[in-house]
Amino acid sequence: MDNIAGKKSALTWAVNIAVVALVALWVFPTVGLLVSSFRTGDQIASSGWWRSMLPTEQNLTLRTAGGDEAELVDGLYTVSGNLFAHEGREPLNISAFGTSSRDVGAYTPGETVDMGDGEIIMVGETGDYVYTSVEEMSGRGQRVFVTAKVAPEFTLENYDNMLFNPNNIEGMSKAFFNTLTVSIPATIIPILVAAFAAYALAWMDFPGRALLIAAIVGLLVVPLQLALIPLLKFHNEIGIGKGYLGVWLAHTGFGLPLAIYILRNYMVGLPRDIIENAKVDGATDFQIFTKIILPLSFPALASFAIFQFLWTWNDLLVAIVFLIDASGETTVMTKQIIELLGTRGGNWEILATAAFVSIAVPLVVFFAMQKYLVRGLLAGSVK
Amino acid sequence: MKTILFAGVAGIALASAASAQDLKFPIGEGDFNWDSYNEFAESHDLSGETLTVFGPWLSGDQTLFESMLAYFEEATGADVQYTGSDGFETQIRIDTEAGSAPNIAVFPQPGLARDLASLGYLEPMPEGTGDWVAENYAAGQSWVDLATFEGPEGNENLYGFFYKADVKSLVWYVPENFEDAGYEVPESMEELKALTEQMVEDGETPWCIGIGSGGATGWPATDWVEDMMLRTQAPEVYDQWVANEIPFDDPAVVGAIEEFGWFVSDDYVAGGKAAVASTDFRDSPKGLFDSPPQCYLHRQASFIPTFFPEGTEIGVDADFFYFPAYEEKDLGQPVLGAGTMFGITEASDAANVFMQWLQTPIAHEIWMAQTGFLTPLTTVNTEVFGDPTLKKMNDILLDATTFRFDGSDLMPGGVGAGSFWTGMVDYVGGESAESVASEIQDSWDALK
Amino acid sequence: MNPALQGLLTIVIGVGGCVAYFYFSNILLDKVLFPPRGPNAGRNINRANVIRPWLFLAPALIALGLYLAYPVFETLRLSLTQRVRGGGYEFVGLANYQQMLREPKFWEGFNNNLLWLIVVPAASTAFGLLAAQLTDRIKWGSIAKSLIFMPMAISFVGAAVIFKLIYDTRPAGQEQIGVLNAVWLGFDGGIGSFIWLRLVPALLLLALAAGAGALGWSLMKPVLGREGRSPGLIFGALRILSAVLMALLVYLMLRQTIAVFVADLPYGQPQTWLTIPFWNNFFLMIVLIWIQTGFAMVLLSAALRGIPEETVEAAIVDGANPWQIFFKIKMPQIVGTIVVVWTTITIIVLKVFDIVFAMTNGQWETQVLANYMYDKLFRANDWGVGSAGAMVIMLMVTPILIWNVYNARREMR
Repeated sequence: MDNIAGKKSALTWAVNIAVVALVALWVFPTVGLLVSSFRTGDQIASSGWWRSMLPTEQNLTLRTAGGDEAELVDGLYTVSGNLFAHEGREPLNISAFGTSSRDVGAYTPGETVDMGDGEIIMVGETGDYVYTSVEEMSGRGQRVFVTAKVAPEFTLENYDNMLFNPNNIEGMSKAFFNTLTVSIPATIIPILVAAFAAYALAWMDFPGRALLIAAIVGLLVVPLQLALIPLLKFHNEIGIGKGYLGVWLAHTGFGLPLAIYILRNYMVGLPRDIIENAKVDGATDFQIFTKIILPLSFPALASFAIFQFLWTWNDLLVAIVFLIDASGETTVMTKQIIELLGTRGGNWEILATAAFVSIAVPLVVFFAMQKYLVRGLLAGSVK
Repeated sequence: MKTILFAGVAGIALASAASAQDLKFPIGEGDFNWDSYNEFAESHDLSGETLTVFGPWLSGDQTLFESMLAYFEEATGADVQYTGSDGFETQIRIDTEAGSAPNIAVFPQPGLARDLASLGYLEPMPEGTGDWVAENYAAGQSWVDLATFEGPEGNENLYGFFYKADVKSLVWYVPENFEDAGYEVPESMEELKALTEQMVEDGETPWCIGIGSGGATGWPATDWVEDMMLRTQAPEVYDQWVANEIPFDDPAVVGAIEEFGWFVSDDYVAGGKAAVASTDFRDSPKGLFDSPPQCYLHRQASFIPTFFPEGTEIGVDADFFYFPAYEEKDLGQPVLGAGTMFGITEASDAANVFMQWLQTPIAHEIWMAQTGFLTPLTTVNTEVFGDPTLKKMNDILLDATTFRFDGSDLMPGGVGAGSFWTGMVDYVGGESAESVASEIQDSWDALK
Repeated sequence: MNPALQGLLTIVIGVGGCVAYFYFSNILLDKVLFPPRGPNAGRNINRANVIRPWLFLAPALIALGLYLAYPVFETLRLSLTQRVRGGGYEFVGLANYQQMLREPKFWEGFNNNLLWLIVVPAASTAFGLLAAQLTDRIKWGSIAKSLIFMPMAISFVGAAVIFKLIYDTRPAGQEQIGVLNAVWLGFDGGIGSFIWLRLVPALLLLALAAGAGALGWSLMKPVLGREGRSPGLIFGALRILSAVLMALLVYLMLRQTIAVFVADLPYGQPQTWLTIPFWNNFFLMIVLIWIQTGFAMVLLSAALRGIPEETVEAAIVDGANPWQIFFKIKMPQIVGTIVVVWTTITIIVLKVFDIVFAMTNGQWETQVLANYMYDKLFRANDWGVGSAGAMVIMLMVTPILIWNVYNARREMR
């Protein structure tokens, strides 16, 4: 394709670099989420995920031992020990410490600090301290602010917590299975209904066929927002109310135009001879459909199935309106994430993990069946 | 398909394990009113029945509420399923419309319940509930009035039962940080403002304010405005405002909004003005506990300790003072409060029994003994309060020369849970108080 | 019942029911009603063949009618009524529409939707075209493609979380964990800032303005009659309209170019991106562009590969440069696909709800119609105005609907 031979390699380089940049830009956001979901909350809060491989500098608030542990040494009330050990933490290397919230990194480790009122504290690099006071100490220990480098830390705990912790009321496991329960029937049922209709529209002759196809093309673009209230009322009247049945029916209805459209476009392209030969051999339309058309249409069926699966898995609006009720037993992952965005807006380890749990399945489906998805896209866009 | 089935079963197993909570306090021990528990347990049996409860409480509050529900389950054998949602206001509407309403809904605003009652989606409280409340709650009749609405036919009924009250006029701070910086707890609004300015001079950021709340974003700012209203105007003006007898864009109201605006300026708020609307109210107090602290002051209701970092000891690690009134205005010590109202959205035996459960002292004491719970019920044993500060809050209630219920909760849902919220977001975003107020008034007019 | 079991049962009943329906209805038709035997065999076969298509179509038609066609009319009806106390409806004429048109929030949503309608399809198509053109030339192109295509599988809600992390803000002085703020704080107002925040955007805007200008001019050419053939009245009017729109865009972009140079940028202060009015719309749009670019790329790449080699080779022989090849030879051949991509993304944009709902809930002047409608329906509980909002969305997709139907019918002939 490249016209000028001499410039070719330079141009190829430029193209390669441009594509690398483009891909990096497109993958970067998702990678950020993935990396964050493996970090601890403290780590996320103290450095950007792109620095997750480097040690982070964290400010910690620690306490000396309380006044009741003070001993009288050389006329001074003294407590000593290790700041980290009191908290049950692994010792870290302290780079600075402070005794007032106004200036948390005022002193270097090893310095002896006179805090006034006859109180003196010395904090070493490993967190060992000696704190003395002229007057008797009481109550809780003195606050010590330390600045320390914390080594990078990756953990599976977030996933464990969000998926397998039965006591976690914000967990995703229930929502995960509910989402699955919504999407699988909502994917399979419309396929069959649509396949028969597509066959009739592709290979049967009847008055009004062209009009019907046009109508279906028209319905492709009807915003489903219009359907919310009328269908909610309708579901109430026929006694379905909110629940799985309602959401399956709704997804079936909303998915049908695309399904019929994709399948019809594909079936029209099947070779006429096969169908006519079968007819000559005495096969009925029903037999032709099940024995010949369905197997041959597998690629189109697969591509619609992927579409519908992604759509139902990722849906929020239909689920809110037709499925999720006050029992809380039917919440889906998208809704759960919305709740978490509100209540856990700052806890990125929870948010990132929840979001990644929900996008993992579509990503697997996507990479495994991309071929069919592309094919479906090419067939499904109105030309 | 097999794997899905199996997986589904596993999911259910997990879910039920989560709801079967252990009892927080062993029955029969401590200062609790166990007699009321035993009496209730003996006279009610709901084995095999399910009760669904839907409310706005999530995470920390949800755990606390469920710890109380566990006792109801233990006493009656009923299975209670509580669900919380950040989008409670919208979800309860969809659910009642769809006929899939829960048995009991926990309304953070009576205004929303009033809307639902007028559409016929709320069941009146069982006979005699009103008399009981009037008798056993402090200022009982006012609680009854707050929950009495017109039904679908226009006749008035008691539709709600208040359980859990909050005092809103509180400012939270970290005593040790105050000590480090040498600040004193202010006694008047003048002093509070002076302290705020002092902190800015010292190079610190005084306030942490976050008004984000998912679909309800903006409500914490309405509390500010209501508090300022009570501190700049007589209580009668407040009542007129809530009833829309004076327009929302009355200078008195605009003035109160601007009083709030004084605190929400770039230098006074952690993260600047822009962060106010985008910070969730549940996240915003965390700035108090950062090292170095992001802020020194946080005005929020009595329930907020639920959202403090784990292990925070109230009264030691964090404390509060009364959000003071102007000394010069001589309006006394006004206090703003609120409560959550339980309504029956789908009648059942279990729902009625649950309403009676809420009338037992033990139902209040279980939550009292933990955190963030106040109650107007006079028959509880105040010895069980989980920390001494809750008692201090009660004192604030008692010292109040004026007590007013959260105004936005009393306004019609479209205003109090709608345009007032979004208007406050717009105001924090830079719109003028006048134009915000007149927009809210317009939306109120549209509802009439 | 266990929902998983219920799901399984529904699949069995649904699939089995469908198969049984089709099977038995065909049997009924062939064996009982019109058996192809006896004296009327021929006539019976014909009759059966008249009815059979409808047997095949019936379930789909019922579902389509009930779930898509009926709601359109029901919504229209609801938009003309108002609910009354205690249930029931009363006819109020156009009052709901009047009330809606008076509301600033509606106009905010409407204007933002227009902004989305211009920016998102244009940017997605442009990036898609760029990605398609580039990836088709390299060895690892298919891997690159599937990575750019990947966001397509991610839910709007998931994407909202992903981008919230990118836009995250920490107070000044703390370590920023959102990429955008971390990059932003890297600028200090020096020469680097000038190049990246003023010069480059200005040049980009100028290039865009030039592109829009060229497009407008090429649209106007036939109307001015320089190419000898004059277009029909409707298309002429459409062309003039689009050209005027382009002129407006050029004007806006030129103004913005100046603004870029004189704007006072708050260097060194972390920004809460989602609360900056007007610009926050773009931060939301980026999410959708990120998702939709892959779709545009896939379609356009197929179209580009469908271009006959000869046309390109002939142009090379004639000495055309790569730009000319792209714009004069390739573009006209894929313009049909571009229209398809554009209209498809336009429809998605009109329905955009989840992104706004999850990221800002329409606050800070980011309201869009779909979210406005949801607010009215379920927060204000005003079904009349909510339905009116839905009808506005319907009205906005109608031109595309008509265009699609028109094309489909033309294709059928």
